[in-house]
Amino acid sequence: MRANRSTEPLTVAELVRFGPLSRARAFATGHLERPVSGVSLISELEKARQCEPDTVLVVHPTAALGIWALESALRFAWERNASCLVAPSGIAVTGSTQQLAERLRMPLFVVSDPAKSALELAAAIADTEAARARMTTRCAVLFSERENMRDIVGVINTEVPGVTAALLTADGHVLAGRSTVGRDQRNANGDGHRVEVPVPGPGGRPLGTLVARLSTWSPAWAETVETILRLARAPLAASIAGAQLALSHRAVKDRLLLETLLRDEHAAPEADGAAPRPPSPADEGVSAERIAREAGWRIDGSHVAVFLRPGRLDEPGRESATTGVIASWQDAFPRTDLIPYEQGWVAWFTDNAAEPRDVADLVRHRLLSSRIPLPLSVGVGQPGEGMSGLRRSVAEAALAAAVAVRAGGGTIELYAELGPRAVLACLPVGEIADAARILLAELIADPKADVLISTLAAFLDCACSTGQAAARLGLHRNTMLGRMERIRSRGVDLEAPEHRLALHIACYALMSTRQPT
Amino acid sequence: MTATGVAADSEAAAPAQTISAEDLPAMVAGNQLLCSAIGAAGVDGVTVCVEALLRRHGPVPLVGLDSLPDDALCASVGAVGAFAPLLELPPCGDEFELAVGALEARIGRRLDAVVSLNAAGPNALFPVGAAAALGLPLVDCDGMGRILPLIHQTTYALAGLPVTPLAGASQTGDVVVLDTGSRRADALLRGVVDASGGFMICAMYPATAARLREAAIEGSTSRILRVGGLLTSVSGRGALLAGLARTVGARVLAHGRVVEVAGVGRTEGTRHYPSMPSSIVLAEPGEAGRIIRLEAQNELLLALIDGAVAAAVPDVLCMLDRHKLRVVGLEGVEVGDDVDVLMVPAAPMWHTEAGLGLAGPRAFGFPVSHPSEGGRP
Repeated sequence: MRANRSTEPLTVAELVRFGPLSRARAFATGHLERPVSGVSLISELEKARQCEPDTVLVVHPTAALGIWALESALRFAWERNASCLVAPSGIAVTGSTQQLAERLRMPLFVVSDPAKSALELAAAIADTEAARARMTTRCAVLFSERENMRDIVGVINTEVPGVTAALLTADGHVLAGRSTVGRDQRNANGDGHRVEVPVPGPGGRPLGTLVARLSTWSPAWAETVETILRLARAPLAASIAGAQLALSHRAVKDRLLLETLLRDEHAAPEADGAAPRPPSPADEGVSAERIAREAGWRIDGSHVAVFLRPGRLDEPGRESATTGVIASWQDAFPRTDLIPYEQGWVAWFTDNAAEPRDVADLVRHRLLSSRIPLPLSVGVGQPGEGMSGLRRSVAEAALAAAVAVRAGGGTIELYAELGPRAVLACLPVGEIADAARILLAELIADPKADVLISTLAAFLDCACSTGQAAARLGLHRNTMLGRMERIRSRGVDLEAPEHRLALHIACYALMSTRQPT
Repeated sequence: MTATGVAADSEAAAPAQTISAEDLPAMVAGNQLLCSAIGAAGVDGVTVCVEALLRRHGPVPLVGLDSLPDDALCASVGAVGAFAPLLELPPCGDEFELAVGALEARIGRRLDAVVSLNAAGPNALFPVGAAAALGLPLVDCDGMGRILPLIHQTTYALAGLPVTPLAGASQTGDVVVLDTGSRRADALLRGVVDASGGFMICAMYPATAARLREAAIEGSTSRILRVGGLLTSVSGRGALLAGLARTVGARVLAHGRVVEVAGVGRTEGTRHYPSMPSSIVLAEPGEAGRIIRLEAQNELLLALIDGAVAAAVPDVLCMLDRHKLRVVGLEGVEVGDDVDVLMVPAAPMWHTEAGLGLAGPRAFGFPVSHPSEGGRP
């Protein structure tokens, strides 16, 4: 294995990044992927004619008789398929020389002492293992100095020549790094060579894969890159865990503060201007307000509250999703905090011009269209002034969210558009439906139960007018009458006024819990 | 300044003809192509002087070497020195008789004909003036076919003709006779030239017609007249380039816009020359355009295209403005000029090993092979 490795040469890029060329002024650096297997130091220009392929052509000052000689050497280097040209700094490289270097795709490096550089290059080329070890060490040091995921992946992208890296989730979403790496995976036929290393998340379950695309490939080089990726795993896991811990810690603190702030109706005398205040809860409220202000929360002015809930009633606990939802929210709205509250999360937009409709559009556009760990239902409250207005807006948003959740994930409801229907959102629909299934067992047993329940609901909605109900359902009056007769025959008593509210709610509960077809 | 001349001629020299004052404009124009971009402008004073001599003494017969008897004695006449003093104070016309007279006194024999040292630049005109002043025919030949900086960089010297005895005369009437080895002559003469005001009219390489036949580049002067005729009469670029290709074998190496004009530091190779190095960069149009670098030491000496030597001294390099169809000199070139880079091949004698050793790129401190050497180091 070692014997194989020593035959695999360094690239020019490696010599630039970690080797003797790191201090050189460089031109035409777009073509650094060439292998380097030796050094040719020439003290006469004509000797460049005998330069070996894949070597660094170093021009001694005695051969560099002018900028023309440098250009001539560039040409010889190109003709002889050299890897790059190293020239003395005594010759001032002008725009046209740089242009020629780029035209010939021949990297040009200017050093103060070409002879010394030649010796150093020869040493580096003789021991590629040492050069690569230096690069690995440098990456390890830089990983330890970086704190977040992006910076850690960024180290690979900036320090490892010819490699583009990204941290991808299982479904190919780019968490950090170059998005081109992710695209390659989706295409699955990228021409580059790839090295992949799984990255564990904080809980030990896999978080994603660190993927590096190599522009040149050799077994030893791939091994070096894999070592570097492995070195990045622990810092990545630590940075992710740290970020989640900080987020969840903050979420808990924010939640306590918000609960205190919203708890007491009289907690904000400054905002409401309420005259006398009860001694103890007010003190707590004032103090909560102060803390909230210190935390940078905006509690003065006109607020529009937004309430987020897991998009389905049977969604597992909110707690486990909190960090993910908050992280997504912060990506979408970096200047507005999202705080866990009751069955969901609350945020509010404080802007005198804020309209609930605009806020809903904004949330739909930025949040629901982005990647979030679970489907969300959203409620938006009416604008409210000051602390008491915020309290009301949050309550309205919560009601609207409760309605939205019945329609499934991705729904946004505006409180202003719900009207009295908002009250229904608070009903324990599931339990009522269970009871209704017992109460209306005979009706439900009918093969056309769904149609009959919808008809019954419409009849009750229309204040027991068969004519209006038929018009609403788009039925002929006789059909309507036929259905009503069938409902009655299933043991439903429509004549008793004291039964109608219970029947109405039972129909609502059954329809709300109906599985979509 | 030094000497001037024309490259090898593929056509036979014209039969006996004369050069009159009316021929001078064509001669001045033709000169420019073979100056390697130096001294293309500013020969007005010289022209006035030569024109006055032609008008006073009548037209000068232009004869071929073959029409002279073997033992006819000839000497090369030309100015040696710098351009600037020549522009400031052109010769008064007496220098030719003084210099030739001193040489004749030294060798004890009268000249039968005047020969050009180098028929290019001002030195294409001086031999005409000398022949007119002395009442002698001018031989249609020269020793360089272009401008070269040293007086022994000639085909005469290549063929073994000694430079000396040499006689020089300044405008102030100083006369000096040098009798020394060919290679020392230039260094010694330059000291005298500096002291006497910057340039001198010199008569040198005294030789018989028989010896000159082996040493001279024939037809140099008549060819200048033909080139001058083209440059002054042809109006289309294509026709002009075709005419130049036919007359002097000129070839377009590349064309492009000047993007860089820079003086460069004096390097090891240029130390021994009375010259100042400079460099011109041209870019071919288009994204894939090549980069052309012209290296000069007073004259254009080397053309590199994308770093590869495309042409080199002793072949003549010049720039031709693509729109104005006039030769662009080093003193007039500017960034933005749109030019053709032309190469006029030197006489075959220059492409021999000895010729390239004397006036090839290596002689000017460019350690590269001449394209005619085919990669031979």
